[in-house]
Amino acid sequence: MILDLHTHSIKSDDGRAKVENYCKWIRKKEIPLDGFVLTEHRQYDSESDYRALEDEYNLLILKASEVETDYGHVLVFGVNEDLLHSFDFANIRLPIQTVLNAAKENGAFAAPCHPGRKRVGLFSHYELSGPISDVHTVEVFNGGSIPGEDELSVKQAAIHGYKGFGGSDSHVVSRIGYCATTFESDSITTVEGLVGELQSGSFGPISLRPEPKNTTTEP
Amino acid sequence: MAESSGSVDIAEARAEWVGVEFDWAEFTIDKDAMIQWALACGETDERFIDPLHSDFQAHPSFTTHCMSGRLFPKNFPQIGGGFGIDGGKTVTAHLPIRAGATLSAITTIADIFDKTGRSGTMVFIVQRMEFKDETGALVSTVDWKMIKKA
Repeated sequence: MILDLHTHSIKSDDGRAKVENYCKWIRKKEIPLDGFVLTEHRQYDSESDYRALEDEYNLLILKASEVETDYGHVLVFGVNEDLLHSFDFANIRLPIQTVLNAAKENGAFAAPCHPGRKRVGLFSHYELSGPISDVHTVEVFNGGSIPGEDELSVKQAAIHGYKGFGGSDSHVVSRIGYCATTFESDSITTVEGLVGELQSGSFGPISLRPEPKNTTTEP
Repeated sequence: MAESSGSVDIAEARAEWVGVEFDWAEFTIDKDAMIQWALACGETDERFIDPLHSDFQAHPSFTTHCMSGRLFPKNFPQIGGGFGIDGGKTVTAHLPIRAGATLSAITTIADIFDKTGRSGTMVFIVQRMEFKDETGALVSTVDWKMIKKA
């Protein structure tokens, strides 16, 4: 199954997409996603319940978080009450080791996103401060990357032996599914199931970006 | 927790200032201004541009141009550098605003937070104006973000 592991809704301060509109867009544009994960910035949205939308659109909608650390941004899947009390999700200067350790101890899965990005990507910090031993998986395809960033992510992930996944990092409806992750399993139905599949390593990144429109005309 | 912008601790600033009211203003809603605003927005729905329409009302974004007298409360700390840039406004329309209405607006600091991105660390200060009509009913809420370099 194919999941977009990195999306933002209006619950994020810079998100402009309503979750239902993501669902409508996926179905209208026939984007081959089986679901998506809402990774709101610096928070975990424990209130929203998307089960009705899941049923209506036959999509899996899971919730996670994107937190900010001294080594860049990190996606955390499998957020639970214990993890929420482990560190302040709103703090933009979290030590990455704190996040990795807390995720591991609480049955969650933490992975740096857009690692090839300047300032907020893992590998830009590796140049300055050296690698982190507990990182094992990174987002190598990110729908918000500018040219060169994903290429750097793929190259550095290979150098460090990291597993890669993909996510659109969509903040507007039309960007969902630009990048995603394909899983060998077709039976993920819960965030716990997602964490299990991420831990198993049975997945890979895919790019579903639309082909750029050719604006040139034949002479 | 180390969370600072220059000499200002963002968490402390948030705790001290979020929710503080600092400006109070009244606005009389003028029919011609309503129409001009709607037309400037490219609006074609007659509810917003035809004063003879039975449901004539201000365009939902009309209140975004109603400026309060102050940008920040008195003694508000200098957070981040310089004057910052306009981070845009979010408007929530609760009830129709009619021509001739007198709205009272109260402005508060709604949020202070920071975030990191390609450009480095930025601080966001959110100013909220809540507009109520003569009956005290909330008709519009405008959140205005100001962005500063940390």
